[in-house]
Amino acid sequence: MVSSQKTGSFLAAPAVTYMVIFFVAPSLLLFSYSFWTASSFRIVPDFVLTNYLSSMKSLLFLKVTLNALFIGLVTATISVLLSLPIAYYLTYVTRSKVIFYLILVTWFSSYLVRIYAWRTLLGTNGLLNVALLQLGIIATPVEAFLFSPFAVGITLVHIYLPFAILMVISAMSEIKKELIEASRDLGTSPLGAFVRVVAPNAAQGLIGAFMLTFILAASDYVTPQMVGGSSGQTTGLLIADQFRKTGNWPLGAAQAFIMFALSILVYVIITALARASGLTRPRKSILRQEK
Amino acid sequence: MILRVTVYLIMAFLLVPLALIVLFSFNESPSFTFPITGYSIRWYAQIFSDPQLASALWKSFWIATLTAIITFILGAAASLAWLRLGRNGRTVLEVLCITPIALPGLFLGVSLLVLASQVGVQLSMITIVISHVVLALPMLMIAMRARLVLFDPNLEEASRDLGASQVLTFRRVTLPLIAPTLISCAVLSFALSFDEFVVTAFVSGTETTLPMYIWSMMRRTVTPLINAISTLAMVFTIAIISIALAIAAMKRATNLSSRNAA
Repeated sequence: MVSSQKTGSFLAAPAVTYMVIFFVAPSLLLFSYSFWTASSFRIVPDFVLTNYLSSMKSLLFLKVTLNALFIGLVTATISVLLSLPIAYYLTYVTRSKVIFYLILVTWFSSYLVRIYAWRTLLGTNGLLNVALLQLGIIATPVEAFLFSPFAVGITLVHIYLPFAILMVISAMSEIKKELIEASRDLGTSPLGAFVRVVAPNAAQGLIGAFMLTFILAASDYVTPQMVGGSSGQTTGLLIADQFRKTGNWPLGAAQAFIMFALSILVYVIITALARASGLTRPRKSILRQEK
Repeated sequence: MILRVTVYLIMAFLLVPLALIVLFSFNESPSFTFPITGYSIRWYAQIFSDPQLASALWKSFWIATLTAIITFILGAAASLAWLRLGRNGRTVLEVLCITPIALPGLFLGVSLLVLASQVGVQLSMITIVISHVVLALPMLMIAMRARLVLFDPNLEEASRDLGASQVLTFRRVTLPLIAPTLISCAVLSFALSFDEFVVTAFVSGTETTLPMYIWSMMRRTVTPLINAISTLAMVFTIAIISIALAIAAMKRATNLSSRNAA
């Protein structure tokens, strides 16, 4: 047993070393950067809270951060809600693998291509406008489709929905099919079976899916910038610009950690809400598939 | 019935925009409106006459290949380690190798940029590969963990008790159980790397990968040339996913046949 543990440590070493050097160390470095100062294109090691304080006092920062949180929450909510029927269908109803395959394909198909697709769909000469014009529903092209919060929302949902579906599937696949069949046999409607059996048991996994989608969507700086116009200003874009254009890296680092802290705050609130509403209660493992 | 209709509607929402991209890549005129007046492959011909694009494609291909190989090696060793480690060791491994999945690409990108600049490393294809492995390894480890918890350590022990050498046990027992998932995840990390943009944007320096090239085109204009490139990239992705799934399915087939033989 001891020798097997030794072999284990030896085998774990490459991956562990890799992640320590290229994940832990850079994260810590970024954290210390957030206390440094930048003056005339040089970054000076220091210990000041100016970066955090000036960010939090800046109206622009507050505005774009609220925007990012809003975008994240809306995208995650819609994505998880839309994931539920699909995941339910794939886990309990059909045996066909086609839909699952298509979901994988959309998730791995290019991120930029999907943004581009919505740009061409929603533009003034885009398909949506042309179709509505031809149908006589509108008289002049609507410019407001693109470069609006609506465009940001629909594009982000399109991008992150496959991911949410995969997460929700993995949460649901832990619940025994027999449980649902039993409740159906006892006369519960499909919706009832979902609300009474699936939701409470998959709650933890659903919260996980919601949070990961939220984090991805709230920090996405490319999509809002490309389809959101003036409504596409988010913290992510602000942070990215600090590292690309203006060059105040310590300020960008501080803003990244503020965003990080806010994500944790959202997680804490969601978990507390779920517990308060009775959705997540410690349920015993008989309900879950035996491993 | 309602459920099925809902599912199909949502799938249509996911697929129609992508299908339209493909459709308009064959449009003769550079406009994006119906009705389509004529079909042509001129945009595809244009791809192959663009040397910058060819170079970007080639770079992305090599970066993705290296990412897949490194992710596979690190992931394979870590998976074997996971089977041998105790509870604490497993926790350390999981925290380090899975957490990055909960962090946005933006965060990973800027932190690697900061590291490179602090250490004084020039941004290059190597830094891109390094960052892609940080993204791909957690994906592989999550999938592997789901497999590994089902792995019965008694199988290895039984094989050893029956007189098989350590090497033979590894080849005949351990490897067949973990290899399919490992390989299909490595193939998926190729797909992930090939398409990666957010992190790459920070660590690529002056290198232009395919997504970076598409990005610079997208910002300038809307042209069916982008549709043609996107379509090719999608075909490529579909091929990769199919390979990965075929490998994963092979595992199920061999598992079943060995069970039947037993």
